[in-house]
Amino acid sequence: MTDPVVHIAQLNLQYAHGVVLDQLDWQLLPGECWLIGGKSGSGKSVFAKSVAGLEETSGTIRIKFDPLSLLPPRVLYVSNWYQFTNLEGNRNFYYQQRYNKQQKNDTLTIYAELAAYAKSENLSMGDLEQYLELFGFVDLKATQLIELSSGEHKKLQLIKALWLKPQLLIVDEPYTGLDKASRQKLNGFFDALAADGVHLVLVTNETGLPRCINRFAEIEGGKLRQVDSVQALSTDFNRIPRALPSFLREAPALSADIMVEMENIHVRYGEKTVLKGIDWTVRAGEKWLLQGHNGSGKSTLLSLITGDHPQAYANHIRLFGHRRGSGESIWEIKERIGIISPELHWYFDKTARVWQAVASGFYDSIGLFRQVSYEKQEQIDQLLDFFELTEDKNRLITTLPLGKQRLVLLARTIIKNPPLLILDEPCQGLDHTQTALFNAVVDELCGFGKTLIYVGHYETQLPSCLEKKIVLEKGEVRVIEEINELAY
Amino acid sequence: MANYFNTLPLREQLNQLGVAEFMDISEFADGVSALKGKKIVIVGCGAQGLNQGLNLRDSGLDVSYALRKEAIEQKRDSWKNATDNHFNVGTYEELIPTADLVSNLTPDKQHSSVIDAVMPLMKAGATLSYSHGFNIVEEGKEIRKDLTVVMIAPKCPGSEVRAEYLRGFGVPTLIAVHPENDPQGKGLAEAKAYCVGTGGHKAGVLRSSFVAEVKSDLMGEQTILCGLLQTGSILSFDKMIEKGIEPGYAAKLVQYGVEVITEALKQGGITAMMDRLSNIAKIKAFEVSEELKTIMRPLFQKHQDDIMSGEFSRGMMEDWANGDKKLLEWRAATGETAFEKTPAGDIKIGEQEYFDHAIFMVAYIKSGVELAFETMVEAGIKPESAYYESLHETPLIANTIARKKLFEMNRVISDTAEYGCYLFDHACKPLLADFMKTVDTDIIGRNFNDGKDLAVDNQALIVVNEAIRTHPVEQVGAVLRRAMTAMKAIKTA
Repeated sequence: MTDPVVHIAQLNLQYAHGVVLDQLDWQLLPGECWLIGGKSGSGKSVFAKSVAGLEETSGTIRIKFDPLSLLPPRVLYVSNWYQFTNLEGNRNFYYQQRYNKQQKNDTLTIYAELAAYAKSENLSMGDLEQYLELFGFVDLKATQLIELSSGEHKKLQLIKALWLKPQLLIVDEPYTGLDKASRQKLNGFFDALAADGVHLVLVTNETGLPRCINRFAEIEGGKLRQVDSVQALSTDFNRIPRALPSFLREAPALSADIMVEMENIHVRYGEKTVLKGIDWTVRAGEKWLLQGHNGSGKSTLLSLITGDHPQAYANHIRLFGHRRGSGESIWEIKERIGIISPELHWYFDKTARVWQAVASGFYDSIGLFRQVSYEKQEQIDQLLDFFELTEDKNRLITTLPLGKQRLVLLARTIIKNPPLLILDEPCQGLDHTQTALFNAVVDELCGFGKTLIYVGHYETQLPSCLEKKIVLEKGEVRVIEEINELAY
Repeated sequence: MANYFNTLPLREQLNQLGVAEFMDISEFADGVSALKGKKIVIVGCGAQGLNQGLNLRDSGLDVSYALRKEAIEQKRDSWKNATDNHFNVGTYEELIPTADLVSNLTPDKQHSSVIDAVMPLMKAGATLSYSHGFNIVEEGKEIRKDLTVVMIAPKCPGSEVRAEYLRGFGVPTLIAVHPENDPQGKGLAEAKAYCVGTGGHKAGVLRSSFVAEVKSDLMGEQTILCGLLQTGSILSFDKMIEKGIEPGYAAKLVQYGVEVITEALKQGGITAMMDRLSNIAKIKAFEVSEELKTIMRPLFQKHQDDIMSGEFSRGMMEDWANGDKKLLEWRAATGETAFEKTPAGDIKIGEQEYFDHAIFMVAYIKSGVELAFETMVEAGIKPESAYYESLHETPLIANTIARKKLFEMNRVISDTAEYGCYLFDHACKPLLADFMKTVDTDIIGRNFNDGKDLAVDNQALIVVNEAIRTHPVEQVGAVLRRAMTAMKAIKTA
């Protein structure tokens, strides 16, 4: 019998809140490519990281590389979402930093980053172009890493992984932020890699997998359970609808009929134009879908509304009836807006616990710096109950599964009952079931006079309350129209 | 120009040195209203200039930047910083006459020439603000009598001033009004409003004076903050190499260790830092620190004496006039040290290991914080001021070492701090030469607890704990830290 590529025996991992992996055994044999799926919070990402040696586990993990293979004898894990460092190895960024221009190049350009990677890994730049094309990175080569959205960072990691072709490649949620055509292309690359001898492990519950996947499993009770097909994987329970806490059933006080009014918006950095001639009006109570490819300017447009972009002062923007730059503070603006974005999540306080994080939503701060009144404490408890987070209220956010982390951030942003909700790709990195749950909650929340701007990709599921859409392309408005029926 | 401090009678010297009042948040209830609708013109657009301006504008204030004609014509970095963020930018001649408040945020070295150019252009009754009092106190710049002169000094690098503001907090800040220049009595109200505009009021504000700020700031940065961390890093590294510790490990232990150790200092003072050690290690570290304090005390006193007499600034200004000859030479030499040239190894060092394997560093930092604090207080500086300029800032500077070693520290700090840092370092290393001969890897490089019986004598431990906890820097620190509980942990590699 051939030796396994990966041999795992009696693998254990314990976090402060409990056992994650319990005497887990697994073998990956030559020629096998695996899918690891199952419920959120079951420990599949943790398991994937453990295989790559990124978690402190006890037990045996033996990886036997093929000495005759031309592929690098390496395990590479591509995480479900990403952090990066600046030139000084510092991760101490804040999430608005990419809008605050300073003349000190803190991060590398994409091209410089990839050139450095090619050098350290001995790769040929000639092979790179096809991957850049797949992920739409051809025009982004001169972009600085800090200017990338989180979806783009994830793609950059995938580009590197495909390019490197390690003998064992583990990808957590590979399809995040990709449209149908790109997914098919990516699957083609995965199949080609497998044919070259790469052992692939995908961590996801999505269907539409590459052909090379020939083994399926999930983590259950800390152990790995092999199943016959994708369909046999366990799914999350559907959420039982609960009544929205009464303080969120009151329509927020509106200061104006028009929430956002933008006239001929331009944003430029030196030679580079990010937004060009945007006109957009959002009236109170409207539910908007904002769409566009990576780099089309969506996040920049939203940052002009949320008070996070310095160039808001150089444009004609009226928010809640007041001209931007007429003596208001950004805190007066933020008070009326509830926001979630992958970047906010990314840079969120790593030491925050669930209850405190939700409480900080009253003050729009990252970190809780004040005493919370009794009435507010009650509201926080009610909301945690609504989101089924009561059991987790004292836990560090970072120890929760990604789907729950997003719910905590949604709770944080909704706690003050803001008139305007801005949800920028709130489901990035979440699987189908988690996305459906999240969107159902958004629909419930938006029933009471709230205005919504929701950013979602073409192929993902969307909340059903959306009624209008605006599509950006290369910094310009391509479409503004009513949504009659969501054809997704 | 005469050194302002030296022109004062002793009574007034002590009076101004002794200004230190920790302000309650309720004193900032007026928000930014004292500056609302007024025209703020910032001179200089480097890290402090840009980030303070971004915060002030985001707080609803009217901010523009005045730059020198050459900086605008040549599109220098300061011009790009301001225009990329869509601020109104103009020359001194265009903007200064319109300003209600001119904020001078240029480097110390340029203050005299900037003020000479700006002052004649300022309108009658306007306000001039600084973030550091060197120009007023050490260079003795006299400001037109109709102008109000204030100081708002955030005790963090500019990037932190911005980052903390955007997360809804702020950085601890000193504010002051120059007693020679407050003709309308509006100085304090405007300084408070400016401080609210930068977010500083949320993190603890100390009402200080120009004199107290300068004399304590210089002392802190030369000794504990920069000088001592530089000396400690180099001595620790060299000792480990001499004793055969793997260089990559030694480099990493020092580079990141100072940050990990001082993070405990930031959150809970010297007590918390020492409590991270086992009982036997704590007692050992205490003994080492006492010995270090005895050896280094005269050097700390000399630095404080030279700062008070103006001797330090005289020497440094001589070097300015000489094109920074000494500074540049010393900077180059620092780049050549073995510590600087050895990259941190790709080895995992656990958080606790940074303490257990480096109790010399813990002892050294303790001795430096206490000596700086004691020396300042003996010289007439109030404990609150002394706390900010010693213990409070140490973790912030250690963070720069973790990023890119001493090069990064010396790049981030002002040239004034850097000059003083080298003076200290050059004097301190020979002073400790004999002591260092007695140091072995049990206190730097290896785990002190290894192979030892961890038992201690109750009485010995009680005495040590008592001495640590009752030190005056711990008592004032406990009060001031309560206002800063929300300061975030500096991320560690």
